[in-house]
Amino acid sequence: MARRTPFVARLGADVVGLVVLLICLFPVYWMVSRSFLPRNRIKGESPEVVPLHGTLDNYRTVFDDGSFAKALVTSLSVTLLTVVVALLFAFLAAVAVSRFRFRGRWAFIAVLLVIQMIPAEALFISQYKMLDGMGLLNSVIGLTLVYVAAVLPFTVWTLRSFVEGVPRELEEAAMIDGCSRPQAFFQVTFPLLAPGLIATGVFAFIQAWNEFTLAVVAMTDPEKKTLPVWLVAFTDNRSKGVDWGAIMASSTLITIPVIVFFMIVQHRMVTGLTAGAVKG
Amino acid sequence: MPPPAVRRRSLLPLGLVLPASLALGLALGYPLVRQVVLSLQEFGLAQQFGQPPTWIGLGNYRELLGGDDLWPVVRRTVVFCFANAALTFGIGVGLALLMARMSRVVRVATQVGLLLAWAMPVVAAMTVFQFLFDRDYGVVNAALTGLGLDYDGHNWLIEPWSFFMVATIVVVWMSVPFVAFTVHASLTQVPEDVVEAAEIDGAGAWQRFVHVVLPSIRPVLVVVAMLQVIWDLRVFTQIYSLQRAGGTTDETHLLGTYIHALGIKGGDFGMASAAAMFMLALTVVLTAPYIVMMIKQEREH
Amino acid sequence: MNRREEAVRIQRTLAVAATVALLAVAGACGSEDSDDKASGGGPDKADLVVWINGTDTPQEARDWLKKTFEEQNPGSTLTIEQQEWEGLVERFTTALTSEDQAPDVVEVGNTQAPTFTTVGAFSDLTDDLDDLGGDDLLQGFVDGATIDGKTYAVPYYAGSTYVFYRKDLFKKAGITEVPTTMDEFVEAAGKLKAESGEKDFSGYWLPGKDWRDAAALLWNADGDFAVPDGDEWKGNLSSDESVAGLTAFQDLYESASGAAADANEADPVTPFCAGKIGMMSRPGWVYGMLTDKKSGCPDLAKQVGVFALPGDDGEPAPVLLGGSDIAIPAKSPNQDLARKALALMLSDDYQSILAKAGLTPAKESLASALGDDEFAQASIEAASNAKLTPAAANWATVEGKMILEDLFSQIAQGGDVEELAAEADETLTAELN
Repeated sequence: MARRTPFVARLGADVVGLVVLLICLFPVYWMVSRSFLPRNRIKGESPEVVPLHGTLDNYRTVFDDGSFAKALVTSLSVTLLTVVVALLFAFLAAVAVSRFRFRGRWAFIAVLLVIQMIPAEALFISQYKMLDGMGLLNSVIGLTLVYVAAVLPFTVWTLRSFVEGVPRELEEAAMIDGCSRPQAFFQVTFPLLAPGLIATGVFAFIQAWNEFTLAVVAMTDPEKKTLPVWLVAFTDNRSKGVDWGAIMASSTLITIPVIVFFMIVQHRMVTGLTAGAVKG
Repeated sequence: MPPPAVRRRSLLPLGLVLPASLALGLALGYPLVRQVVLSLQEFGLAQQFGQPPTWIGLGNYRELLGGDDLWPVVRRTVVFCFANAALTFGIGVGLALLMARMSRVVRVATQVGLLLAWAMPVVAAMTVFQFLFDRDYGVVNAALTGLGLDYDGHNWLIEPWSFFMVATIVVVWMSVPFVAFTVHASLTQVPEDVVEAAEIDGAGAWQRFVHVVLPSIRPVLVVVAMLQVIWDLRVFTQIYSLQRAGGTTDETHLLGTYIHALGIKGGDFGMASAAAMFMLALTVVLTAPYIVMMIKQEREH
Repeated sequence: MNRREEAVRIQRTLAVAATVALLAVAGACGSEDSDDKASGGGPDKADLVVWINGTDTPQEARDWLKKTFEEQNPGSTLTIEQQEWEGLVERFTTALTSEDQAPDVVEVGNTQAPTFTTVGAFSDLTDDLDDLGGDDLLQGFVDGATIDGKTYAVPYYAGSTYVFYRKDLFKKAGITEVPTTMDEFVEAAGKLKAESGEKDFSGYWLPGKDWRDAAALLWNADGDFAVPDGDEWKGNLSSDESVAGLTAFQDLYESASGAAADANEADPVTPFCAGKIGMMSRPGWVYGMLTDKKSGCPDLAKQVGVFALPGDDGEPAPVLLGGSDIAIPAKSPNQDLARKALALMLSDDYQSILAKAGLTPAKESLASALGDDEFAQASIEAASNAKLTPAAANWATVEGKMILEDLFSQIAQGGDVEELAAEADETLTAELN
């Protein structure tokens, strides 16, 4: 739609966009820039907006004992598994509730809705007991199971809206052209769902990536900590105080995989859309 | 909304919802049942360690609803929720619409900026916001003082209203990216040729928006608005961290932190479960308009 | 729902039955309800897991423990799993209830310990006390973990706060001698503040939520948070003595502290290094943070002197005794081996390593291992009259709900002391019983 926008409107939009960008980025900038400062300069009488003569010490602290790499592996495994499984399950369920009518459909939708509303702060002890019973504590599978369930309601709901947003007439037109229903669905509708899959995928990724409440009790083995759990080692330490610098450095590192993930799926989306356009 | 093509009774849809249902049942079935059970028991730390609990029927609910603690928290939570949900939704949707008009470079930059804000670990975000609003060493006070205002040593968290203002800034900053992303994604899904056809038919920008774009993104808008209400009712981490940075805990509880204080901090899991059930009921009531809207949408469809 | 509950209950019964059977087979019984004094049991060889919190326990001590334990118990191993203070109560509440997950020895904050004793989370250590050190163990810690004559946790290390002061600022304000009574101390704090003339400068740094350090003022006036009342506990903050103590806190905050009324004591380094602190009460290890050239300000740290906070009578004031306990989770299957590991952690060798790292050892006889510099002196003096929070089983709830943080913060904001204290008493009485 962008190309039809008049120049003045686009300029206005661009200016607003840049302002938003600045607001969004300021805390991020603060995190990254503080990560290059020694601890005694992070908070100071007059804040150093542009830090000069930084240091890599905080990053050295982070990589010091090799625990970061372990936590990274655990976090990546849990998160990627959650995204793949949740998107697959959610996609199937979303197609079912938006393209079919069946008994239990409303019940399913209602259950999804209600599950969203349950406060997690009261649930994690029961979830711990359950994982304990299944022998799935300190386990990637166990954590993944709970995370998949946690993001499913949202992913199903949102994907369902995306499926419904695709006019059925488009599919029917393709069927008139000789496609079978599944063919029509995958060639016409599926490419149009790509943005939805990406939006929900990014959502699932970030939720699983940042989850703390359950992970802090379910992953007690130091070899199995996820990144957010690993990170608190720097926040709460009797003899060393709060290591602001290490928090900022590790948080910067923790943010990078999310951006990488987004770049990859974004690229996929573009190719996916083009493929859809060619065939449509 | 009988879908036109597949009307015959088929096992296919059931098969499609089966994996999701299984995952949900497995991960949430037992915890949910246990929560209901606990809310009917006197269940403290001793019971957690194996002593048999006492059934007290609706005792927890009576104590909760009859006490003086809950209602101020509920009022605060509802006001905070709607203020935040409205702000987040308004800013997010506005941004998504603008993104469709931006030049490509700015759009991608905005997206990356939003994503960075969204992806920043919560611990880091909360730490940074505490730095920014710090009474003695904060950037905000330094900047305002630099502008000639009397903000030297201003304490942002000590008054509840000001505490919640900072909380609102944090929560909105963290949630806008999700709304903007999702709505923007649904905008890109609007078929271009349909918009073009409308344009050829002589529809103006506003008409195109109302008659072509809006109907096609409405399901997403309703879902996003509802989720925002749900999530802002449940907000926990931001309030919890700010409470530890400053302010008066007792005057700044929202339902999420209140339940946390009852349960894990206070060791009364029965009461915490009852409060969680109450919160569930409250959420259903508050989101009822959306649910009705969604059912209507289904019918029209 | 009933059926579900039934199923859960059956499951639980089965689990209990299985445990009882297991323990019976192993020869002894460590069940929490049992009066059987010969608690213990477990296999001869096992892989022990010890939970240590944060990085306070030096690496040397960890290595020594692992090596010594494995040498003395061939075939067994010992693994130290470092946990964090953040989320510890959550972890205890979950992992310690699980047969599979419970570690064999845990470190726990000394004020957190009472909460877990009465609920059956820890094994009874009463019979082992003599072997572990008996009267030599820090008595306050043992008392804090003793309920109805049974002791469930033993001291691991202690650390009390003492006063850090800036020698150069003392000189500038014309204070020639270190205060020796509470009155002199309060006067010095006020002088330092007046001398600087800055709003955010602290003659004595006392953030409004720092009730742990403010407790010294309360106790110095013979007040207390709560007192036993028959079988129950009663909030005691509105007693005349307590109100006097709280008022002294309010006065001191107003006259000398530049810290925010709603701030906590987590970060003393930033204001100290910004030159905003004349005196502050902190644990000894804060000195290491000040002298570190990356985290602190070595130049200013050179001006630091220390003394134990004096009370009205010129003796050290009753400050809050901080530190850690160690305990054996009741659900640990290796009760006997866990006791051996626990004994090693209280051995003179191990405790001396802790003392060298600046932690007050769990045994009084080892206090000299701290050294004899002014820091060691201040530390030993401060601990000599230190006190604990009320040994009520529900005390952790009071801390968890931030009840005292709220109270002290509101007093610091200039609230009506008597009114606030009366309200807090109601809350305390309700929470503690």
